[in-house]
Amino acid sequence: MTPPAAFSAPTVPLTMSELLRLDPLAKVEVAHRSATDQPVQGVDLANSFARLRRVPPHTLVVLSDEADSGGWSLATSLHLAWERAAAGVVISSRSLSASGSLLAERLDITLLVAERDPVDLALALAAQVSAPGSARALRIARCAEQLADQTAIRGIIAVLARELDPLPVALVAGSTLLAGRAAAVADKPGTQLVKVPVTTATGHLFAELVTRIPAGAGDSGTVESLLALGRTPILAAWAQGRLQQAGRVELERVSFRMLRDAAAAPAVLDLPLATGLTEPASWPGELGWQLDGINRAIWLTRSTPTAPPADGEQDEMTQLVHSLWHTVLPNWPLAPDEDGWVSWSTGSTDRPAAMRRAARSLSDLLSRHGLVAGIGGAHPGARGLVRSREEARLTARVATTLAAGSIEWFDQIGVRAALGWLPIHSLEGVAQLCLTDLLAAKDRRALISTVLAVLDNGGSLSVAAGTLGVHRNTVLARLARARELGLTFDQPQVRLAVHTLCFALDTAWGHAAMEPDRTPPGRRELMR
Amino acid sequence: MSPSRPASGAQITAADVAALYAGANFYSPSVGDTTRVTLIDWLTGLLGETGPLPLLKPESMPATSWCAALCILGSGAALADLPPAGDEFVTAVRTLERTIDRPLAAVYPLAAATVSALFPVIAAAQLGLPLLDCDGMGRAFAQINQTTMFLAGLSVSPAVLTGAAGETFTLTSPNSERADVLSRSALDVLGGWAAFAAYPASIGDTARGASRGNVSRLLEVGRLLLEPMSTDLLVNRLSAVNATRRIARGRIVDLEHLTRPADLSVPTHPTSAVLDEVGGAILRLELRSEIVAAFVDGVLTAAAPDLISLFDVRSGRMAALDSLENGDLLDVLVTPADAVWYSPEGLALVGPSVHHIPLDHPRRR
Repeated sequence: MTPPAAFSAPTVPLTMSELLRLDPLAKVEVAHRSATDQPVQGVDLANSFARLRRVPPHTLVVLSDEADSGGWSLATSLHLAWERAAAGVVISSRSLSASGSLLAERLDITLLVAERDPVDLALALAAQVSAPGSARALRIARCAEQLADQTAIRGIIAVLARELDPLPVALVAGSTLLAGRAAAVADKPGTQLVKVPVTTATGHLFAELVTRIPAGAGDSGTVESLLALGRTPILAAWAQGRLQQAGRVELERVSFRMLRDAAAAPAVLDLPLATGLTEPASWPGELGWQLDGINRAIWLTRSTPTAPPADGEQDEMTQLVHSLWHTVLPNWPLAPDEDGWVSWSTGSTDRPAAMRRAARSLSDLLSRHGLVAGIGGAHPGARGLVRSREEARLTARVATTLAAGSIEWFDQIGVRAALGWLPIHSLEGVAQLCLTDLLAAKDRRALISTVLAVLDNGGSLSVAAGTLGVHRNTVLARLARARELGLTFDQPQVRLAVHTLCFALDTAWGHAAMEPDRTPPGRRELMR
Repeated sequence: MSPSRPASGAQITAADVAALYAGANFYSPSVGDTTRVTLIDWLTGLLGETGPLPLLKPESMPATSWCAALCILGSGAALADLPPAGDEFVTAVRTLERTIDRPLAAVYPLAAATVSALFPVIAAAQLGLPLLDCDGMGRAFAQINQTTMFLAGLSVSPAVLTGAAGETFTLTSPNSERADVLSRSALDVLGGWAAFAAYPASIGDTARGASRGNVSRLLEVGRLLLEPMSTDLLVNRLSAVNATRRIARGRIVDLEHLTRPADLSVPTHPTSAVLDEVGGAILRLELRSEIVAAFVDGVLTAAAPDLISLFDVRSGRMAALDSLENGDLLDVLVTPADAVWYSPEGLALVGPSVHHIPLDHPRRR
C-alpha cells in the first residue's frame, strides 16, 4: 500500500545547533560544542553504562542516575557516547568538572549542562526531535520576534548570524559586502550558496542576503525562510537610515545657505558670526561646524556641470557623496551647496598641508564618481569661509574643464578662474558655424591644439613645438593648413576670438575623450 | 646490582632495611614519610643485634607447623602520633598462640606493602621466628578479609589486636567480613592503630592460600628504586621483576576532591587526579587509599587489583598520593596483581565494583 503523500518524504531531522536555539536547550550551559553539527535522530535517557553502550548513532543522550554521578563516570559516559557517535550528552551541573569539559573538547562531543530534571528534559527533547517541522516553525517565529527588536542593519545581520551559526551570513550589493562575514560570499568547496534578494517596494534590487550551507544539506528551506525574515527589517532599517541622512543633509544645506546669506547681509553676519561680541548663532555648533579661526574651503562638483542633472539625480548624488565622504574624511564637515558640495578646514593658522592631504585622500573618490574639486584661499572667520567657498567654487569650475578627479587651487589659478565660466558648449556651437571647413577636417584636433599652443605661447613656433612635442616644421605645416581651412589667427582684431574658440573646442573635445591626460599640455599651462 | 644484596637471598640483614622500606613504598603509594626514620633505625638496630633474619619459602618448612599473618591495622597518622612501645607484636603473637593453644613456627606479612611490610620483620626478629616469603595481598588493600588466604578458604580469626597502651583485643568470628568491621571498631579505643595478628593456620594451608615470593620481590624492587638510574631504565627493570608497564606520562592539571559520594565500604574520600598526557590524551586517576582506577580518555585502562603507582619524573622517586600537586610530571605505572585476584571471586572482593565503578575490569573485557 502506498503511504499517504504527507508521509512519503521523511522530514529532515533537527540538528544539534537547531535544538540549541530552542527551549529547553536554549537555556542550558554549553560546556563544549562539537565542530560537527550532527543531526539528532533520537533522545535517550541513559541511566547506566550498559544502556549507554546500546544507544543508536546520532542520539542525544541525557544522563541520569549511575551514568550522571560525576567524576570518572562522566569520563566513561563521554567516551561511550563518543564510541556510539552520539549527537551530544546532557548532564546535571553537579556532574560537571573542568576535566569533563576538557575530555569533551578532546573527543569533540557536545556536552551540555542542564539544571532541569533529566526525565522532564528527555521527554521535552523527545517531543521536539519527533516533530522537526513544529520545532522549526517555532524557531522561525522566535527569530522573527528577535528581528522585530532590531532597527539597524548590523543588528539584523547579527540576529540572523546567531540564528544560523555556524553558517556565515552577509548582506551584499553586487560584489560589495555591506554587512556580515565575507566567508558567506567566498567560494568554498563543499558548500552551496543560498541567496535571498532584498528588493524595494518598486522592485528595485537593493541587496541580497546570503549564506553558505554544506553542499547537499537537506534543510536549505529553513535557512532560506530565516534569511527571508530579514528582508523587511533590512528595508525598514535602510529606509530609516536614508530618511535620517536626508534630514541631516537638508539641514546642512539650509544652514550653509544661511551662512552665505549672512555674508551677503553684513549687519546680520557681523553680530553673531564675525565679531562674536554677542551670543553666536547656535546652529553651526549643533552641526559640529567650526568657523572661528582660519578657514579654507573645498568645493566639489560634477566634472560636466553644463549638463543639468535629471530629477532626483542630484539628491542621489548627494547621498552617495555623503556616504563616501565620511569614509574618507569623517571629521570634515560637508554640506550641499547649490550644484555642488562644500567642506572646509578650520585652524588657528592656515594649514595647507592638511588640505593637501585631504585632497590626496579625495582623489580616488572624485575620479571614480566623475567629480572635480576646487580649493579656495585661507581667510579668517565665518565671512572668510564664505569668501573661501566662492574662490573654491570658481576654481572648481575651472577644474570642470579638466578631467574627472582634478583638484585645482585658487591660490594658483588667480584671475584665470574666469576661464572656468566660459560657455564652452555655446562657443562650440559658434565654431560649428564660423569654422565649418576646419571642423569637417579629419585632423581638426591636431590643428586646433597647434593653433592654441602657438597663441598660448605668444606666437612662438619653437616653444609651441616643444610644448606639443613635435617638430617646428610640423607646427608650420599645421598653421598653414589651418589658415587654408579658414582659421586666420594672426590678425589682431580676431586674435582674442580665435584664441577663445580654440580654447572652447579643445576643452569640449577633452571632455568628450574622458581621459585626463588628453588635455593638451599647452592648455594646462594656460590654466596654471 | 647493589653490593648489599644478601648472598643467599634467604635472609634479611640490616643492610636490606632501606630496600625493604623503598619496596614497601612502591607497593603502596599512599604511605607517608612520617615514621620512616624511626622505623628504619629501629629495624636496622634490631637486625644488628639479632643477626640476619631467615626468609624462608613456606614449602621449606614443615607443613603441619603453624604460622600467622601480621600487619599494622589502622591509620599511619595515628601511628606517628602514638609511636609503638615496641612489644605490641610480641604481645599479639603470644596472645594468639594462647588463643589457638599452639605455638607458631613462623610469621609473614598480611600485606607486603607500607609499614606492614616492615613490622612483621621486626616482630619475627623480636620473636626469634623465621619470616615466610609470602603475603596475603601482594600490595595493600583496605580490608583484612581482602586476602588470597580468604579466597582460599582460610579464616581471619582468631585474630588479636594489641594497642600501644598494651591493651589486647581478641577477635573470633566465623565471618571474615564481620571480623573486618569488628576490628575497626576496636581500633578507635586502642588508639587509632594496632598490631594485628591473624589467619592462624598450618604452613601447608598457608602455602596454598598466600601469594608466595612477595617479600623477596619487594626487596628486589626496593633495591632497584635505590639505585640511581634513568626513569626508562627503571621502568624496564621493574617490568622484568614485576611485569610493571608504563601506561602514560603526563602532568597533573587538576585535582578534584569528593567527586562522588563516599563509598561506605571503603573508609576513604574519593579524589581524582587529572593528567594531561604528553601524547594528548586525558588521563583520570581515581584515588582512594590507593589508586583504584585509571581512565584514558574515559576508557578504563587499569583498575584494582592492578597496582597503579606514580613515579615523579623530576625527583626520580615514587610519588606519594597525599603530596600530589598541580603541575607534577608523573609516569603512571601499572603492575599486575597475583593472578588469583583476576578470578571472578577475586574481582568481586577487590575489583573496581568494590569502589562503585560498575565497569568490567580491563583484563576481563
